[in-house]
Amino acid sequence: MWNWEYAIKILPEILKALKITISATFVAFVVALVVGLMLTLARRSNFKPLSLFAGGFVGFVRSTPLLVQLYFIFYVLPEYGLSLTPFVAGVIGLGLHYSTYLAEVYRGGIESIPPGQWEAAKALNFSTLNTWKKIILPQSIPPVIPVMGNYLITMFKETPILSAITLVEIMQTAKMLGSHSFRYLEAFTIVGVLFLVLSYSSSLMVRRLEVRLNLR
Amino acid sequence: MWFDILPSFWEGTKITIELTLFSAVIAFFLAFAAGFGRLSKFRAVRLLAATYVEVFRGTSLFVQLFWIYFALPLFGIMLPKMVAGVLALSLNAGAYGSEIVRSTLISVPKGQSEAAIALNMTPWQRTRLVILPQALVMMLPAFGNLIIELLKGTALVSLITLSDLTFVATVLNSSIMRPTEIFSVLLIIYFVISLPFTKGIQWIEHRLSAGRY
Amino acid sequence: MSVPLKLIYNEDPTKNIGSEVRKNIVRPIVTYNNISKSYGDLQVLKNIDLEIAPGEKVALIGPSGSGKTTLARLLMTLEEPTSGTIEVEGEMLWHQRVNDKLIKANEKHLHQVRGNIGMVFQHFNLFPHMTILRNVMEAPRNVLGLSKDEAKERAVKMLEQVGLSSKIDAYPAQLSGGQKQRVAIARALVMRPKVMLFDEPTSALDPELVGEVLEVIKAIASEGEMAMLLITHEMDFAKDVADRILFFDQGKIIEQGPPKKIFNNPESERLQTFLSRFNRH
Repeated sequence: MWNWEYAIKILPEILKALKITISATFVAFVVALVVGLMLTLARRSNFKPLSLFAGGFVGFVRSTPLLVQLYFIFYVLPEYGLSLTPFVAGVIGLGLHYSTYLAEVYRGGIESIPPGQWEAAKALNFSTLNTWKKIILPQSIPPVIPVMGNYLITMFKETPILSAITLVEIMQTAKMLGSHSFRYLEAFTIVGVLFLVLSYSSSLMVRRLEVRLNLR
Repeated sequence: MWFDILPSFWEGTKITIELTLFSAVIAFFLAFAAGFGRLSKFRAVRLLAATYVEVFRGTSLFVQLFWIYFALPLFGIMLPKMVAGVLALSLNAGAYGSEIVRSTLISVPKGQSEAAIALNMTPWQRTRLVILPQALVMMLPAFGNLIIELLKGTALVSLITLSDLTFVATVLNSSIMRPTEIFSVLLIIYFVISLPFTKGIQWIEHRLSAGRY
Repeated sequence: MSVPLKLIYNEDPTKNIGSEVRKNIVRPIVTYNNISKSYGDLQVLKNIDLEIAPGEKVALIGPSGSGKTTLARLLMTLEEPTSGTIEVEGEMLWHQRVNDKLIKANEKHLHQVRGNIGMVFQHFNLFPHMTILRNVMEAPRNVLGLSKDEAKERAVKMLEQVGLSSKIDAYPAQLSGGQKQRVAIARALVMRPKVMLFDEPTSALDPELVGEVLEVIKAIASEGEMAMLLITHEMDFAKDVADRILFFDQGKIIEQGPPKKIFNNPESERLQTFLSRFNRH
């Protein structure tokens, strides 16, 4: 059933595709971090239309499938003259989807800051920008770093969905190898084990980070 | 021009809702079995439950679905698409659900089970009368979110050509080539299906924060 | 087994003799034999021997962290002794004798012996999802197997006794700390234990609510049937209620005796120091 010889033969090719998977993960994560922060700040804005839009965007994106969002970006945008490569469409889709989750993470961090900090900043006559930059964000982000780390791992695990818009990452590579040889078992199992090992070991690292942060 | 494509989505919507409900029910049972399993006093049970949870949380639904549908047949297990879909979705959601069950069970203060011991309740009575009723209430919002994640996950079954909403949309698009309308309608349908759950969660959370707890 | 004991107690030939003598006549209801308890390297109880007579009121005093609470928790089966044995009415609590060998008790055995003991906790530990009435009814119904009507009748009577019959349909969150603790006392009493443990029942309360709880405990103590182990920092209360005072420090019973002797003529230096801290106020 399981063919070791074949498994070893296809392993290098799958590992080669891991590079695409990992770079897609990190680029999408940066998108999610930046857009997530923007969404959080927009939701707190006093300008009603902006905060309503941000709230609506988060609600809508969070309750619709990432796969369909990717189709939307990949197939609809070209209608309006914006053709994206699978990689770019993929990281935008993945990044936007998880920006809505990271927005919640930022929000949690910000809301845990005691009101006294805002009042102290006001008493010292800090500008709004400086209050955020110097007082609020430096205190609210470090405690939520482990949660962000967990989302990085989640996004890494979700990258196979990008194969649906033809990005050749490891799942797509495995699919192609499988369809050539009519043997899916080895290729898909290798992909599964790779994800399991990488995500489980990184989640152990995040847990250690969490313990370290709690000790401080 | 938007309305003419709507009827084409009807059959797919039914499949998507069916998938979500079936998987949610099975996932619910798996979540309780594995959640309690991880707190069992028997090492073997704890280990088994932990392995299940870590494997299904350590890989994505996508990989699990493809493995079940394409790799299992090499062991002679050939599952119909619907069964493979429900199996992958419920195993995946069950693993996440077990974490909800486990974390709420252990978040009930220790004094509660101590008071139950002091009243000479049996272990099962402690769980049934004291711990579980308090934990269940705390689980509700998280389970609501899990169902929304489950609904979103169902879109992946289109990739094993099960004719759910997303599959119907992609087939329709390749024949009439009107991506803007088709994918917009598709997103809106998913959003509408999820609405009762989103509102339900908000309602429960509101009641919990205002209520007697 | 409980019948002869009850007889002895009802006749009460020992009432005026004082507990020291009395315990030699009546078989103790609780016996700690050479009990030790450690958490890792920290030994919180060191070879404790202690006997409590039926109906006897014993107060435990001493600095925090001296092992008083652990002593009660071992008897309530919330924690397991590291070594030694505990007997309740002559029956081993944490151990069972199988073929002449002592083995660790199983849940069934614990369940059987634990029925004699009740406990009131420092932080009340009421069930927040149940009304006051259900808090008090739940165990009689499910553990003692009473019918719904019987359990309700008993619970209502008990709540009247602690002065809370008007709060029957309220939830714990709607009560003051003092009221919560009175419900917790009713909840423990309704099971009719032979030994009641009070683990600092007033130390989580606002000062103005302490009195009402102490009153209730005093009233129960005056009824006399139940043995009581009171862990408390209220010295006047201990003096009033207890037949015997145990002074605990660093996991050992340093000194014990009737309240008069303990408070008026403390022998050990440590007890003198401890008491002087209270007298200063």
